[in-house]
Amino acid sequence: MTAEYATVTQLPQYHLWDRTKGKRIPYSFDLELTARCNNSCRHCYINLPRNDRDAIKRELTAEDIASITDQAVSLGSLWCLITGGEPLLRDDFSEIYTLLKRKGLLVGLFTNACLISEEHISLFKRYPPRDIEVTVYGATKETYEKVTRRPGSYAAFRRGLDLLLERGVKVRLKAMALRSTVHELPEISRFCRTYTKDYFRFDPLLHLRYDGNKKRNAEIMAERLLPEEVVAIEQADQERADSLLRGCDELIIPALKNQESNRLFTCGAGVKSFTIGHDGYFRLCSSLWHPGCVYDLRKGSLKDAWEHFVPQVLGLRSSDRDFLEKCRKCPIINLCLWCPAHAYLEAGRMDAWCQYFCEVAHARAKALEKRAGLSQ
Amino acid sequence: MQELDMDARYIPSGNIVAREIEGELIIVPLVSGIGDIDDELFSVNETGKVIWDRLDGKTSLTQVVQLLADQYSVSRQEMEQDVRGFVGELLKRKMITDARASPASS
Repeated sequence: MTAEYATVTQLPQYHLWDRTKGKRIPYSFDLELTARCNNSCRHCYINLPRNDRDAIKRELTAEDIASITDQAVSLGSLWCLITGGEPLLRDDFSEIYTLLKRKGLLVGLFTNACLISEEHISLFKRYPPRDIEVTVYGATKETYEKVTRRPGSYAAFRRGLDLLLERGVKVRLKAMALRSTVHELPEISRFCRTYTKDYFRFDPLLHLRYDGNKKRNAEIMAERLLPEEVVAIEQADQERADSLLRGCDELIIPALKNQESNRLFTCGAGVKSFTIGHDGYFRLCSSLWHPGCVYDLRKGSLKDAWEHFVPQVLGLRSSDRDFLEKCRKCPIINLCLWCPAHAYLEAGRMDAWCQYFCEVAHARAKALEKRAGLSQ
Repeated sequence: MQELDMDARYIPSGNIVAREIEGELIIVPLVSGIGDIDDELFSVNETGKVIWDRLDGKTSLTQVVQLLADQYSVSRQEMEQDVRGFVGELLKRKMITDARASPASS
């Protein structure tokens, strides 16, 4: 019926994505509402205390966000992911959420669900989010609160999740594979899959904090699994192992060995998406905090950031011999957490080699090659 | 399909947002129950777009047909078929409302 005047397409198949393949258009952006969190998770890179006054002072106001969103929409943004910290800590969350919806954005939300209230449920029922993703830090109170370090957080999470599920709000669950959770990962996976059958993922890779806090970075490193543990849990999860195998040709690319390039950025940062930081700083992706790669939106415009600043960053090159010989020519770079952003967080240099990431990538490649060999 | 009143004047519903991205008109539902689309995108093609642009709450469907038939040198009958088809689809998806019944038209 609609064929002559309009089309209804599955979002990923929409022809506009193909038509604009080579163009830089910011179709999506992450909006970090706050760097604060009600929890204090061991592995987290952005969770200042919930009452941190300096952090509150730096946060964008709803008016700032409305103005930035207007600019994003005029540049072509269609998706917005609200993230944090914990976004629901903001008293004006509902106001901000509604304004994003009213601008014609498809809005997603990352939350720990602990602060979900009846007011939020009414809001999401009236203005449905595209999706809400909740991380499950444990299938038991002991494990959950070992990660969050906040007594009562497990009960708050279960109450919030139940509220969302009972009232039919679309939720997707995910997990972190940490030193503190790995013993319970099968139970966490089962828990998640019970509620969201079509979607579950776990993340075994941790990058360091944006603020460089040494004590907290040490805690993150202590939560990292050994490379062989990462591989073992990935291979034990049939869905993930199959998916890795299916993508094998894009994960291991021998031709990269011959690559002659000294460009730092070969990823998708600043190509189809960007991040708005809680402090009003524009970043090319959520992890890229290098001071030379961020743009203060309180002093300039999003248009200027996107059209003039991003190309400058994407044009950065390295002359570091180690980087050029190791990472830039690495055929398994797509199995690695290495990228200029994570390298900076890890070692203070965007072209630094990162031993842990490298070891995980090699262990993954070995397991993948073995599995590919077996399946032939 | 419901019979269309060709004297009616329609406007975009307050429950959708019409977005133009890279020259494409996309209708984004704001509230639940609009368009019944979950992981899908409702985009309007060139033919639909010229009709959509005339749904301003001031022009009746009969006038829209006449204006577009003149503008594109097609028969009135042919244009009426297009307008009825597209407007019917938009009404079914609750993407437009009758301006006479809408407080937004005042």
